[in-house]
Amino acid sequence: MKQTPRRSWLPLVLVILGLFLLVLHETGYLAPVESVFSYALDPLQRLLSRAVEGAGGMFQSVREARELRAEVSELRQEVDDLTVENVRLQETKAEVEQLRAMLNFVSEYPISGYVGADVIGREACDVFPCGDVVGVDPNPYLRYITINVGSRQGVELGDPVVSGGAKLVGRVAEVRPRTSKVQLLTDTDSSVAVLLQTSRSTGLIVGQPDGTLRIEYIPQDETVEIEDIVLTSGLGGVMPKGLVVGQVTEVDKKGYELHQAAIVRPAADLRRLEQVLVVTEFEVVPGEDEATPEPSG
Amino acid sequence: MTIVALLQSVLFSRIDLLGARPDLMFLLVLTWAAVRDVDEGLVWAFIGGLLIDLRSGGPLGATALALIVVGFLAGRSWGQGLGSRVVELLLVALVGGLLYHLIVLFAMAAVGHTVYWSYSLLRIAIPSVLLNTVLTPFVQQPVAWLGRRLRREGLTLG
Repeated sequence: MKQTPRRSWLPLVLVILGLFLLVLHETGYLAPVESVFSYALDPLQRLLSRAVEGAGGMFQSVREARELRAEVSELRQEVDDLTVENVRLQETKAEVEQLRAMLNFVSEYPISGYVGADVIGREACDVFPCGDVVGVDPNPYLRYITINVGSRQGVELGDPVVSGGAKLVGRVAEVRPRTSKVQLLTDTDSSVAVLLQTSRSTGLIVGQPDGTLRIEYIPQDETVEIEDIVLTSGLGGVMPKGLVVGQVTEVDKKGYELHQAAIVRPAADLRRLEQVLVVTEFEVVPGEDEATPEPSG
Repeated sequence: MTIVALLQSVLFSRIDLLGARPDLMFLLVLTWAAVRDVDEGLVWAFIGGLLIDLRSGGPLGATALALIVVGFLAGRSWGQGLGSRVVELLLVALVGGLLYHLIVLFAMAAVGHTVYWSYSLLRIAIPSVLLNTVLTPFVQQPVAWLGRRLRREGLTLG
């Protein structure tokens, strides 16, 4: 902390260069250059990620930890499968009730027909690209992860990303040949159209800085219950319908406002993600594909 | 620097101590500028910042700009006369850390990212600044050793 600058123009030049890059990045002109850097850095990151994982593993008492891990993984798998089954059953029940109610409407206003969208379940990695999480965003204000599958594996911008048990994790925000950046649901720029399983009311779920989610634009006259399951609604066509988003923990209802809101705990443990699945093809909710909005972020 | 940026993404960014994250690139730039000189600090701040930005989903250049300010602050004679070298370093880490987080947040807000100011400052920036300030002397030791070695061999990195 003593030297005087030898080149007094250097700070100014670097600041101007930094601002220039910021502008170029935002206008998209830097994408090819970033791709080249990413191409060079990605394999290194994968190696380092593996090395870090390996080093971390060495500190555990090997056999015991392995056995426990296998058991936990088995139990988690079982819980995931049961969660999906439970969600499916509840979805079917809700749909049946909804269809019953709609039958009256159909008889009054005959429509040509409609197709129901399926819940995307846990799929094998040979159907959809499975990716390991190789890095998290170094910027503490953003919630992105880097996964080791990219355009070579068929990943495209906006693809939904799920973890075990059809739990929504986020959406692909940037695709490179061998890696992709996924914007997590909890990123403050993330927004997804959702519906509440019990009341069937819809809203828009947005990420909060504390790692929770908030459903906005729920009509005031709807009943929102604590612990209600939140699912993707499929509206907008950018997400399949029925992915598990989370569970309501708090209702924020103020009589003087047009809408009410709800705080949601994400279904997937977004801080401990290891493997994810990228959904590259899904059935779009009929009638919504034309009004597809741009993915956020 | 590349390894540092990758380590930040692969390892250090996963650490969360009540909202605080150790920021290896920030610590290296700060201590390097302090033990070497402002020019070297600035060059490494720019390169290191860009490498971090390339690993991030945020705006390219935001971290670089923030680190340039940190490098500039650490390489000058701020805080002299307020105490020992360690106290000076801690003071620079504290002020530099706050400026670093403010600049990153301003850059994000400027390009349209949603920024929750009070939460970001109180729950992320301040805990991170405090943690990194505490870590600064521990990083300064090996960096000073490396700096002395390079100086002996007549090498400059800026």
